[in-house]
Amino acid sequence: MANNTVARQKENRSAAKSSAAPRTRPATATNKVTLDIIENALRNARHEMDTVLFRSAMSPVIREQHDGFPMICMPDGRMVVGQFGSYVSGFISTWKRGIDEGDVFLMSDPYKCRGAISHINDWMVLIPIFHEGELAGWASQFGHTIDVGGPVSGSLPTDATTIFGEGTRIPPVKLFAKGKLNDDLLDLILNNSRMPTMNYFDLMAIVAACRTAEKRVSELCERFGREVYLSSCRALLDRTYRAMAKLIQQNLPEHKVSFEDYVDDDGRGNGPYKMKLTIWREGEHGYFDWTGTDPQAPGPINFFLNEEMFKMFIGVYLIMVFDPQILFNDGFYPLLHVSQPEGSLILPKFPAALGCRTHALTRLFDVLGGALGNQAPDLTTAAGYGTSPYLLYNGYDQNGEFFHLMEISFGGIPGRPIGDGMDAHSWWPLFENIPSEYLETYYPLTVLEYGSRKDAGGAGFHRGGNGVHKVYRFEADGEIAIHDDRERSQPWGILGGLPGSTSSKTLVRTTGESVSLPSKISGVKVQRGDVLIYDTAGGGGWKNPLDRPVESVQADVRRKLVSVEKARSDYGVVLSPETLEVDTAATNQLRKRIRQDRGEIGKFTFGPIPQAIGVQRRD
Amino acid sequence: MAYRLAIDVGGTFTDLLLFNESSGELVLAKTPSTSDDPSIGVLTGIHKVASLAGIDPNRVSLILHGTTVATNAVLEGKGARVGLITTRGFEQVLHVARGQTPGPLAGWIIMIKPEPMAPLELTLGISARMSATGKVLVPLDENEARGVVRELCARGIQALTISLLNSYANSEHERKLKQIAEEITGDVAVTASYEILPEFREYERTLTTVMNSYVRPRMHLYLDGMQRRLKQDNLTARMEIVRSDGGVMSLKAASEYPVTTLLSGPSGGAVASAYIGELSGFANVLSFDMGGTSTDVALSRDGMPSVIRETRVGQYPVKVASVDVHSVGAGGGSIAHVPITGALRVGPMSAGAEPGPACYGRGGSEPTVTDANVVLGYLPPELLAGEMKLNEAQAATAVQKIADAMGLSLLDAAQGIYDIVNENMFGALRLVSVQRGYDPRDFALLALGGAGPLHANALSCLINSWPAIIPTVPGVLSALGFLHADIRTEFSRTLIRPVARIDLATIRKSMDELGSQARAWLKSENIAAARQRVQFQFDMRYYRQGYEFAIDVQPEWFKNQSGMERVVERFKNVHHRNYAFNIDYEVEIVNLRAIAIGEVPKVELKRHAVTKSGSESAQTGKRKLYHHGQFTIATVYERSRLKAGHRIPGPAVITQADSTTLIVPGHYGEVDPYLNILIWPNDRRGTTEKKVSAVGTKSGHRKGSKRSR
Repeated sequence: MANNTVARQKENRSAAKSSAAPRTRPATATNKVTLDIIENALRNARHEMDTVLFRSAMSPVIREQHDGFPMICMPDGRMVVGQFGSYVSGFISTWKRGIDEGDVFLMSDPYKCRGAISHINDWMVLIPIFHEGELAGWASQFGHTIDVGGPVSGSLPTDATTIFGEGTRIPPVKLFAKGKLNDDLLDLILNNSRMPTMNYFDLMAIVAACRTAEKRVSELCERFGREVYLSSCRALLDRTYRAMAKLIQQNLPEHKVSFEDYVDDDGRGNGPYKMKLTIWREGEHGYFDWTGTDPQAPGPINFFLNEEMFKMFIGVYLIMVFDPQILFNDGFYPLLHVSQPEGSLILPKFPAALGCRTHALTRLFDVLGGALGNQAPDLTTAAGYGTSPYLLYNGYDQNGEFFHLMEISFGGIPGRPIGDGMDAHSWWPLFENIPSEYLETYYPLTVLEYGSRKDAGGAGFHRGGNGVHKVYRFEADGEIAIHDDRERSQPWGILGGLPGSTSSKTLVRTTGESVSLPSKISGVKVQRGDVLIYDTAGGGGWKNPLDRPVESVQADVRRKLVSVEKARSDYGVVLSPETLEVDTAATNQLRKRIRQDRGEIGKFTFGPIPQAIGVQRRD
Repeated sequence: MAYRLAIDVGGTFTDLLLFNESSGELVLAKTPSTSDDPSIGVLTGIHKVASLAGIDPNRVSLILHGTTVATNAVLEGKGARVGLITTRGFEQVLHVARGQTPGPLAGWIIMIKPEPMAPLELTLGISARMSATGKVLVPLDENEARGVVRELCARGIQALTISLLNSYANSEHERKLKQIAEEITGDVAVTASYEILPEFREYERTLTTVMNSYVRPRMHLYLDGMQRRLKQDNLTARMEIVRSDGGVMSLKAASEYPVTTLLSGPSGGAVASAYIGELSGFANVLSFDMGGTSTDVALSRDGMPSVIRETRVGQYPVKVASVDVHSVGAGGGSIAHVPITGALRVGPMSAGAEPGPACYGRGGSEPTVTDANVVLGYLPPELLAGEMKLNEAQAATAVQKIADAMGLSLLDAAQGIYDIVNENMFGALRLVSVQRGYDPRDFALLALGGAGPLHANALSCLINSWPAIIPTVPGVLSALGFLHADIRTEFSRTLIRPVARIDLATIRKSMDELGSQARAWLKSENIAAARQRVQFQFDMRYYRQGYEFAIDVQPEWFKNQSGMERVVERFKNVHHRNYAFNIDYEVEIVNLRAIAIGEVPKVELKRHAVTKSGSESAQTGKRKLYHHGQFTIATVYERSRLKAGHRIPGPAVITQADSTTLIVPGHYGEVDPYLNILIWPNDRRGTTEKKVSAVGTKSGHRKGSKRSR
């Protein structure tokens, strides 16, 4: 009987297949255009994953702000589309309990997946894709969940000393086994969150996004045949390998070039932390060496940098300007060689705390940009706000209901070859701010001001972007946490551009008392009526501000993005404070004088190195 | 007897379609567009089409006009100098926008951010402040308000926008401020955000309102001039303007709310596709309108194009009701190129109208989709009935660049370009179908635009939507859609409350009020009571989700609590269709909306008797084509000689003045009683032989997708 059923299903399936899309032609693996078509289809699948996630998730961090990342891989785990590089091969090599059709894997412990995700708030889902009973690939997506337990709401304590102090760690587990949800496991995980419903919703949205990719890959296998699909994926990987070999030779120096930048502190009174990268090439191979980076911190700013992920960052950075339509895959990995000192800020030893790794993660790009900027004029940009600033706010609203807000803020985009850095924009792609009307509808707070911060951007021929200036009034008693950096280390300017301004946070109590808050702090009690002034760092400038057209400087002043004083001091443009008209003679004279005073200009213009505190003091 | 006239002003030509309401006959005229003042071309066209039809222009009683005046003002950056008043502290709302930079990583390096349409130097804040629940936190200071308006006027603004935080919850400040401003501004038109979009999310509301101001003076001038010209020529016809949602509205309404006309043209195409599909027996239609630089795709179900409430114009997200038209940078003029990765890319760069594809012989040398079509033999060397000759040698030289870069033969390179552009359009079609939970196999595919019929058959193969429908005049289909448009507008308000916390009295009262607004508007538009209709929708989502679905509702449902259960059930069905999951969680209503519709008598096209004769009489010759690695000989037909009932075996090329149709091997075309060509695979029987049951069912709603999700 059972056999009959199976036989009939098979019959039905093949009948359905013959009525499915007639193939436009029998495709072959060597058909170059088929490659582009499959690449295109994978791109569409990836966007569809994003659409499903962003539109159906519930936490504003994923939904409004888009903190979630999709990926599709080959059966062996190599990434054919995605953003962060593949960790699936690492998973496959360590997972011993079998992989079946209908399985859905869930994990959040960075130490159990070689840093594929880098703090425990990121929940990563992994789905094996089967076609006609054979493994045809993997779909994965991870998103930042709002709370995973631990001592503070939001699960990002700024003073944690080990990962055990940060919340619930999920090792790789089967959330669904052969299509069946493990309710006990889910209950256990959600029971450890302050926001179980939101996490449940977000998790289901992540799974739904992966299911979308699963469906699309199956359709591609139907349309072209699984073998053609897979050999095309291999050819796509190979194509990227060859393109990258050329780009490495164009953009990497043959001699060693080093670049350093600093993370302010670790949230526990230690700092600054140096990140140092040395790059060079040998033939078509690129070398990226982190030797010289400071040892891991006692506080939670350590960043477990996954080697594959870093290779992807490098690849994307290099290729993006030259073929923006490319679909990123990891075919070029054999060309890149990375070394990371163990026990350092970027490869900490278990059980170092990792919650606030966002500062090192983002500063990495400033360091990479600085190192590459020596050789590649199209990529020569200044440094930006260099982190993902957060505000967390929780408590009980007037109805006695618990609320928890996490908002990701932005800052100044660096000055760029193509133009000024954007003001108060997101450095991470596709993130969006939360509408103030949304915040005020769902949380007990009032946004008093939201815009960009005048004068925060470093002066340049192309100006660095201004940081965010936002003022909140809390309408309920509660607790807040701040996560930011670049409070002490200024974003540097390049080719004569000047550094951007540092960040700052000020709490103004109802009593009128004004308290300056450090860039990393959690558990700050606030009372109804307290006001928080939240300013993030600006971007560095690009090329000499004395060459910036006078009209552009004047327009910035009219738009209240730059002050009359800064126009004079940094751009050498003299404006009447009343009419904002240009005094041409005075401007010419002033520009000449500043030029003489400044003398020869180096490639980079840095602010002062932050003073060493805590364990980083070397005396 | 009365005549109705549809006018579609495009970039190059103005299309006019005259409809005789008694005979059902259509007369088509084309005149060159006059871009400086399009009304000159329109008037020339009216006289031309009337003389072609041999009637007095005064017998036209109704003119339906699709306009790109607003769209062009936005795309070309030639709108008004707009002043903006915001809540103090939020002056940079447009400058900071949503703070987004494009993907992938490092996408910010090459991002080009457009300047706000209300420049920062013309934006001023005021201290009045409303809370999210509509409570006044800081009252409006009238003296301060006057000062701010005067200051902006002194800076030379041509239009003024008022957009204050939380005005969707309470518009009192905006109303009062607008009143104050109008006393001061004189000729400068004032638009307040509560009038345009009383919904939450300040950036989108402000942007949409500013955009209205930005295009308003231009639109006003244009429509004013149009009225004057109509009067000068003693034309008494009433003119209506086509809206983005496929409806029409009066000149007065269009002058005040021009932002609702941004997708005027494409909406006509979608309405026409829905109409032609239904006429041919296919109520579910996917349509694609392939022009020179881009292709617009849309989906219609049960004879109605789907309407969405956020669309993109250039780089700007605009929140107005629009037909769900998705645009992709793939057209006849799209340029093929091979970047460092060795991939073949087609578009989004385009050769445009000037210099155009290489084969036009006007100095273009980049390989375009049209050049590929010429190389493959799909496009005969003469276009527009011999008015334009194509240069095959130059097409080949251009496409050879791709062949060399990829190591392919000339013909395979051309085939590659053809396939890639089809794939790009396929992606767009999936977006409006599969991604919205619809199975394309339940739809027919309709081709619009001059280039559409060359790609329709191949696209149908990809998406498996049959038949491919080639209407009689693919190039002027938007105008036909206008003839079919109802008079329409929307009224909405934001609620944002979980269903469990809403009492029925509130819902009933709000629906009553919105309904009254809708009916009052219909009355002001002079719609007879018998033709008035009001539809209601709720925008719903799970609590705190970011996006809503519009759910159709009936007022009588809310006589008792079961009405709420009914809408929640409907919402869950739609959520599941789109995202493949539901959860046991609170559902909230975000907006309530009334849609006012004044029905227009429908156009009845002429039905032709099916001939018994063969299609040989329409043959004009043979052509050699290259199709997927092989040469094949196609028969060439002249479209005007094809009669209802004719069968055209593929491969075939069908020529007509404004377009060329390709039928690939393994397929055939049949001419239906409305002279549309329906293309089918050889193993499927067409409509004139036997109705295919899977498609074209007009009855009721489909119960979910056939594919398991």
